This record gives sequence, structure tokens and C-alpha cells, in this order.
Amino acid sequence: MPEPDAQSPQTRLTLRSRLEDLALVVPWLDTLTAKYAIPGDTRFRIDLCLEEAISNIVRHGYGGQPDHAITIDFSIDVRTGLTFTVVDNAPHFAPNEQAEPVPAPQTLEDVTPGGLGIQLMEKFATTLRYEQLPDGNRLTLGFDLAPSKPADA
Amino acid sequence: MKLSTEELGGGVTRVILDGRLDIEGAAAVDLRMNVIAGSSKFLLLDMEKLTFLGSMGLRSILVPAQAVRRRGGRVVLYAPAPMVEEVLKASNIDTLLPIHHDLGSALAAFK
Repeated sequence: MPEPDAQSPQTRLTLRSRLEDLALVVPWLDTLTAKYAIPGDTRFRIDLCLEEAISNIVRHGYGGQPDHAITIDFSIDVRTGLTFTVVDNAPHFAPNEQAEPVPAPQTLEDVTPGGLGIQLMEKFATTLRYEQLPDGNRLTLGFDLAPSKPADA
Repeated sequence: MKLSTEELGGGVTRVILDGRLDIEGAAAVDLRMNVIAGSSKFLLLDMEKLTFLGSMGLRSILVPAQAVRRRGGRVVLYAPAPMVEEVLKASNIDTLLPIHHDLGSALAAFK
């Protein structure tokens, strides 16, 4: 499997904090998928987690302000798999720090259509690590190279 | 993201979702989904051509489904691809809305 060139622009994607910039992620993932033969199921998981992470940063981290940077760095290692590191300069936020887990709704009427993004990231990424930076946040999403089922609830 | 409808027998409206139900896709179909939910009592959401489903897409399904249910109707999810179905299961939507991969059984769910 080819190693990414540290100088290759394809290993880093820089977005502005606008939901419209999410459209840049798909063709970038298409390029990575073609270059590194990422399996379809794994690509779906990556696509989903990045969609949720970026939209959370845009809507909640930056509060909809459009002129801030979000960077996504990609790396691949035969031992650790695929890693996507998302960095922003938004106020500190921890996606996997919750006071209590939200119980699964019992009926359709119980459902509050929101807050599913973090739940989906936790289930579809092999690993999810959040770190506070001096001036922002770093979210590291790891994906096994071999396709695998997400963890059960 | 494209949305089309087809009237089936028994008052069932088939809503065909084609493409990515991501944030952009959800914005493209939300209004029409809610209009359909306001006028149809039995919705078969045909997900066979959905290539992506994110949390905002789930909202685009849940909000109309709740509206249909409040009016005494039913919503059935039809033929999601495996990874789309994984999203439905990961968010427990499969316990709230039935998923069928056979059209006959999907239509029978409305009776």
C-alpha cells in the first residue's frame, strides 16, 4: 500500500467553517479511496464521521460564523489503519463527555431529532479521541483497514 | 438528492429517495417531505437508492414520520442498503420504524 507523501496536498483538506464546504469532503474522500483502495464500507464510515464532526464544528463550535478554518489531516499505517485528524480553533468542546448517556427512545413520539451525530461517530469510528488544544480542539478518528461492523449500542 | 413519489394501492405513497441524505440533501428535501407527510397517511420511504444517511438525514425522516404518526398513519422504511441500514440501527430508528427489504411485506405492514 502506498504511503502518503507528507508534502502531498491530498493528505490535508482545509475548509472554511461553512456547511457548504462539506461538499469538498466527498471528492477528497473519492481521491483517497481511489489512491489507497479504501473499502466501500470503510469509506462510508469515514464519510459519515467527517460529516458529523465538521457539521458540529460549524454549527456548534463556531456558532455558524463562516470565516474560521477547519483542517482535516489524513494518514495511513498498516498497523493502526486510517486516521483522520480534525482541528479547529473553536471554543473547547468534548464530544464524548456527557453527563449521562441518553436512553434509547421507546416510541417514535419520544424521539428528539438531534444529538445523533456524536452517537453515530462513536459507533462508526473504530477509535475516537478528543483533545483540547491551547486555541481549539483536535478530534482524531481512527478506522481499521479491514471493514468491520460498528459496535452494538 | 432527488425525491419522487408514486401512489401505490391502498392509499400508500411511495417516496423514492435518490442520492445522499446528508446536510445538503436534507435541506433539499425537507420541505417536500413535510408537505407529503401532511397529506399522506401511509408512507413507504424507498431508500434503495440512498447512498448516504447522516444525522440530518435521519431528522428528515423522523420529523415527517412523527407527523404521519400523529395523524394516525404509518411509515415503513423500504430496502435501505447495508450501510444505510447500519445507520438506522445505530440510531435505534429500526426499533421505531419497520424496515422491510421485500415490497410485498412492506405493503403488508400498512394493513
